[in-house]
Amino acid sequence: MQFQKDIEILAPREKVWKFIWDVDQFISCMPGCKEAKTVEEGKRYTATMVEKVGPFKVEFPTTIEILEKEELTHIKAQASGADNKIGSRMKIELDVSLKGEGDKTTLSFVAGVDILGKLAALGHGIIKRKADQVLDEFTQAVKQRLEGDA
Amino acid sequence: MSKAMARHSDAQTIPLSFTLNGRLQEIEVEPHELLLDLVRERLGLTGVKRSCDVEVCGACTLLVDGRPVSACTTLALEVRGRSVLTIEGLAEDGKLHPLQEAFIAHGGFQCGFCTPGMILAAKALLDENPNPTEEELKHFMHGNICRCTGYKKIIESIMAAAKKMRPAGSKS
Amino acid sequence: MLRRFRLEEPESVKEASEVLGRFGESAKIYAGGTELLLTMKEGLVHYEHLVNIKKVGLNQIKRDNGVIKIGALCTHHQLESSPELQKSLPAFVQMEHNVANVRVRQAGTIGGNLCFAEPHADPGTLLIALGAKLVAAKGSSQREITAEDFFVDAYETSLEPDELLTDIQVPEANRGVAYLKFGYLERPSVGVAVALGAGDGKQYIGDIKIAVGCAGPAPKRMADAEALLRGKSREEATRNLPKAGEIAGRAAQALSDLHGSQEYKEHIVGVLLKRAFHSALSQC
Repeated sequence: MQFQKDIEILAPREKVWKFIWDVDQFISCMPGCKEAKTVEEGKRYTATMVEKVGPFKVEFPTTIEILEKEELTHIKAQASGADNKIGSRMKIELDVSLKGEGDKTTLSFVAGVDILGKLAALGHGIIKRKADQVLDEFTQAVKQRLEGDA
Repeated sequence: MSKAMARHSDAQTIPLSFTLNGRLQEIEVEPHELLLDLVRERLGLTGVKRSCDVEVCGACTLLVDGRPVSACTTLALEVRGRSVLTIEGLAEDGKLHPLQEAFIAHGGFQCGFCTPGMILAAKALLDENPNPTEEELKHFMHGNICRCTGYKKIIESIMAAAKKMRPAGSKS
Repeated sequence: MLRRFRLEEPESVKEASEVLGRFGESAKIYAGGTELLLTMKEGLVHYEHLVNIKKVGLNQIKRDNGVIKIGALCTHHQLESSPELQKSLPAFVQMEHNVANVRVRQAGTIGGNLCFAEPHADPGTLLIALGAKLVAAKGSSQREITAEDFFVDAYETSLEPDELLTDIQVPEANRGVAYLKFGYLERPSVGVAVALGAGDGKQYIGDIKIAVGCAGPAPKRMADAEALLRGKSREEATRNLPKAGEIAGRAAQALSDLHGSQEYKEHIVGVLLKRAFHSALSQC
């Protein structure tokens, strides 16, 4: 499943870039994400993703690896996790780009998400919709956090 | 607190008293036991089959109080005080039921895997509606899948059995 | 095989509510089990306690002062064979007659169907078009939820965790009702329900309710599509049908999946709306 989201943030690029690497701040914008930890600064992080669709709950202990990093411009990352209780795995390939001058930054997310295992039984459509909602909430939270913090 | 209690307490058992193919059975089951496993594994009646395991194919059809159920998705405890009929219980004193005779005479089966469920479902149909139209038959039997016959012979078999079962004196 | 659980068997709504409150998330209501046991077999959920509510006695069908009251524990089979319902809500009987297959209809209950809120289901859609109210009980209190407010999202209703759906109330009304569905897979892919009244020898459309289900995450009332048809002359309404179908299709929030692409489902919504409209009109 492919997702793309662009958000315009009324904040300069430096501020947005700094925010992204503040693990606690950044990850806390992600709904259902808890216990974010830095394993190796700038390279490896862990977090637990908890999501619910009706009665179906998943808990993915997730590892995030930073694959590429271009100062103030671009990040390429990979996240993977497994919920052994319900036999499902999740894999995300994430591309984050920053564009803009002065007080406005456009933050772009391109995500490739794969859900494998039993959870897929819920149906591609439902999962896509949920992932879309999560990404939406996440980008809105990032924007609010950065803009509100004046 | 309730989780700790569940771990330490004895497994819950439910006394099950029911009629199986006309004979009284008294047995104990745990709540999570499935009817299909009770009948196949504990009672040794393997005519009923596990196939799709999601109530779609009908190979696990059993009759409970004359009505078709998916044994794969029925808790064993649900047959408390009820009568259960499996394919093994259809023939009486060695004499085949008209449905069984019709399936043989009209080629209503090939590999035979869907057949126990197919015949039991057909029995439930004819008990409810002794003179079904082809549309009514197809609607009732819609949930029983066959991969071999293409259904035509199954429909013929059931219609032939219905005809034979209809004159006065046939048991209902 | 299922994982082990304990069975609780309350004998009243009050007791059931109490049990649910006591065990919280580790307990789930169990009626026919046709959806619940499947998800448990899949390993997608686990409950330490199943609360069997079949002894609570909510399986009656009654007619009370212009309202049909259907107990939540009525099986689909009970509903499809009810002479009372055949007389007062024949379209509802027909919908129930076509739910899943004969074995699911034998064990499955209308309450279980509505509360599990599987997107690809039939009853919710028709109940919305019929203006039904769902009654939910907790302890000794109860509240009414309109069918159109009941479905929140896929697998999600507006019931609270310790609430029980006790019955479904459908107002009797002199109207034409049609429910049409389409699909090749085991569950329906698109479902459209229309309930309308017509006046003056069918020359104009009175009140109309439209609902679409299965295509999106939850069944929905299509108020914007209704507006194009309500109170219009028969000619004008017929002319507006394609536009109404388009609006309803988009509002259905169709998801592309194995059942079909979003565009395909939106198209089918339009087709079924047209047919259901004419079918309902012909009954007036």
